[in-house]
Amino acid sequence: MSFLKHPALRRSLLALMAATMPSLATAETPAGYPADYAQTIAKAEAEGSVVVYANTEHAAVEPILADFQKAFPKIRVDYIEIKAADLFSRISSEAAAGALKADMVWSSAMDLQFQMVEDGIAAQYTSAEKAAVPEWSNWGDKIYGITYEPVVMVYNSKVVSDAEMPTTRASLAKWLQENKERMKGKVATYDPERSGLGYFAVSADARNSDDLWPLVTAFGAVDAKFYTSTGTMLEKISAGEHAIGYNIIGPYAYLRAERDPNVKVVVPKDYTVVLSRLAIVTEQAQHPNAARVFLDYLLSKRGQTVVGNEAHLFAIRPDVTGKATIAGLSAEYGDVLKPVAIGPDLMDAIQPMPRMDFFRKWADALKAGK
Amino acid sequence: MRNDFWRTGVVLAAALFILAPVGLIVWQSFLTDAFFSVRAKSTVDTYGFVLSDSGFWSALKNTVILSIGMVLFAVPLGSLLAFLMVRTDMPGRKWIEPAIFLPLFMSPMVLAFGYIVSIGPSGFWSVWWERLFGAVPFWNVYSMPMLVVVVALTHVPHVYIYVSTALRTVPSDLEEAARVAGGSPLTVATKVTLPLVWPSIAVSAVLVAFLGFELFGLPYVLGDQDGRLVLATYLYKFNTLLGRPAYQMMAVVVIFIMLITLPLVILQRRMLKSAQRYSTIGGKATRSHLVPLGKWKWVAFAGVLVWLYAVVLLPLSGVALRSVVTTWGPLVAIRDVLTLDNYHKLADLPLIRRSIVNTLLLAFVGGFASLCVYALIGLASHRSRSESTKVLDFLVLLPRAMPGIVAGLVVFWIFLFVPVLKPWVASLGAMWVAYTLVWLPFGLRLVSNSFSQVGRELEEAAHVTGAGQARVAKDVILPLAKHGLLAAWLLSFLLYAREYSTGIFLMGQGNEVMGTMLVSLWNGGNIDVASSLAVVNTIVIAGGIALALRLGVRLDA
Repeated sequence: MSFLKHPALRRSLLALMAATMPSLATAETPAGYPADYAQTIAKAEAEGSVVVYANTEHAAVEPILADFQKAFPKIRVDYIEIKAADLFSRISSEAAAGALKADMVWSSAMDLQFQMVEDGIAAQYTSAEKAAVPEWSNWGDKIYGITYEPVVMVYNSKVVSDAEMPTTRASLAKWLQENKERMKGKVATYDPERSGLGYFAVSADARNSDDLWPLVTAFGAVDAKFYTSTGTMLEKISAGEHAIGYNIIGPYAYLRAERDPNVKVVVPKDYTVVLSRLAIVTEQAQHPNAARVFLDYLLSKRGQTVVGNEAHLFAIRPDVTGKATIAGLSAEYGDVLKPVAIGPDLMDAIQPMPRMDFFRKWADALKAGK
Repeated sequence: MRNDFWRTGVVLAAALFILAPVGLIVWQSFLTDAFFSVRAKSTVDTYGFVLSDSGFWSALKNTVILSIGMVLFAVPLGSLLAFLMVRTDMPGRKWIEPAIFLPLFMSPMVLAFGYIVSIGPSGFWSVWWERLFGAVPFWNVYSMPMLVVVVALTHVPHVYIYVSTALRTVPSDLEEAARVAGGSPLTVATKVTLPLVWPSIAVSAVLVAFLGFELFGLPYVLGDQDGRLVLATYLYKFNTLLGRPAYQMMAVVVIFIMLITLPLVILQRRMLKSAQRYSTIGGKATRSHLVPLGKWKWVAFAGVLVWLYAVVLLPLSGVALRSVVTTWGPLVAIRDVLTLDNYHKLADLPLIRRSIVNTLLLAFVGGFASLCVYALIGLASHRSRSESTKVLDFLVLLPRAMPGIVAGLVVFWIFLFVPVLKPWVASLGAMWVAYTLVWLPFGLRLVSNSFSQVGRELEEAAHVTGAGQARVAKDVILPLAKHGLLAAWLLSFLLYAREYSTGIFLMGQGNEVMGTMLVSLWNGGNIDVASSLAVVNTIVIAGGIALALRLGVRLDA
């Protein structure tokens, strides 16, 4: 199908199709959009496709792509899944070579995403849905949060009973120290050195409260295991090899809890860090209008409903109902939820010297527990 | 007279092919930032940083231990296996052969996971052991000794391919003479057969040692939780450690791995000094008889079965089990959680079929194209005493010093920043280039060894009667070396079929390979569907190999 990549060939093919088929109606402009949006849609349909580089796994994003195809049948989504750090490498390399193929970049690595705004890769675009999403969930009309994902704790209820499972960091630290022998080698969390997301979550913890550090000492005391892969951690917790997982990203935790009745999720009661998968439309986009239409779809009521209820990625739009939504979470947990602010401060997390300082502090706290 | 211009040309082209990525790595190691970044300045500090990092030295120590372990165990076992399979009358050889190739093709991540499910702390073997003997099992799947054992056993097929290819052309007259003079099968094996295939053993030892240095998948999964790093996983840490990927750090570690090639190649040259004595394909017609093992054949058979069990059945059973349950471990009863759901979900994923097609295309057609490249380079350096071919010996190992992900990144950069190559940056073609580059030493060695087995007198006879170099190659060398060529194709097929990390940056939409889907499912916590995909993959490829071996791709005469 690589001949379709040749623009002239593709355009003539589209022209042929348009001439020979009775013209299908242009997709409808959603209610409340600016009057000239129909033109944007028409241009997007002429472009025919949107190239999205993202780190959300195919299995999760499938319902979103399928529904977008139904809403806008003439716009094909070329979705390429790449892990966060490699995604950044690829985007920055392609941009430097003037060969950026991505029209939209969507990643859960909030710090690296903002770096792209800083590097001028993100285009400015005021989304048609901007008024419908929380004010703090985007910045400068250049970067938009699509999801609202709590960072939770996970435990295997056959190893740790529901009654004894701690629900705050301070109580978890205390409980681990009291049950040192029983919990030896049974606690799992991200390795902040080898997992970008792991570092980001735990540095957000450190900013929110000093309760993190006694917990790290407790990790040292129980010989906690440090991973880079969420999937591996959840698998071992399910199997009972580990009993407790700390700072597991919400959607995956809830997904596992659905499949395995032994695995239960705890939304920490002292504070819960909330992450968001951030999307940018690229300045060098070859299908700029299609990218805008896709972004607006992701933030629209229809798109967010799929994001929350079918993709289980937690919708950020307040008027979407369901469990995996900001509305559902806020109703249940209220002020405990602490979303990470989207702005230039995000880049603090990717400064080498502060990171090395943090790792030293982390290593010292771990050692203190042994 | 012989026109050697084309030889120099091919060798120069090969050198360029290798030196472009290596040069980029060297340049990157002396910069403070990505080479394409405006902020980059030159520095030697990165070398100092890595050398003073205790993590680097402990990773190096672990890597050296693994490498030595691999050579000590995999080379003798692989050679012995080759001898048993090719030259003796051990029973069951026909169906064992496809099984031997399975570890070559299985993704190390899947392999490691399979071990965790079967003999990990919550593994079903561990649980049975505990129920049977009342004590916790004596093994720890996450320990260093276990890693050495797993790594060594899973690299037996690599040695097997080299040694068995060489063995297939050894004529029996020398062995028969030894037996007639009263030698036992063991004496025949060690005093006659072994010296004849020594070049292949030596070369496979060097390659396996080198593979130990760039080992990533198995140490990554089995060493993840205890933070035990090897050079490749240590290098990978720099993808996230400093926030943004630190290419200069990764480049420095790669340079250190490349420096290891020097002593290894010198060692290899010393071992192959009298390689001329090992030509086994002569002008006389010969037949290969099998060495009868007598009562030892059942011992040998049992030994091979034990190895197959440890390396194929054990991990595969773990993965297969995971694919038919919703959850596993001592806390659940198997019969409560059996399901075929994971296979149904697999059918629902639209990319599966396309990724299988892409993989087979890349592995089969791409493997053949790579074979042509290896054959060309092999012919160019065949019987050539010029300096350029000596240099090639050093150069060919260099690309493999880069772990897959670095190699992919570097090839990506070359395609991206060299204007004439830019349009093909995210294509199956670019992925093929990366694969060929990275597996060059393996395919090339296999092919070269086969060429050196052709008796010199045959080529000279052809020359004397007027054949040009091309004719000699086409009618004499290539047909007689066909075992090596087929083996190289099979090796490329298997290695390319399981490749994933080398192609990450070169994948466009529509280029996904099976490895992509596997990792994607894994990252999303869908280990169950990933397991069912791994089982399907293994069955497809194993079936393909068995079919090919039956039909026409006979690796023996």
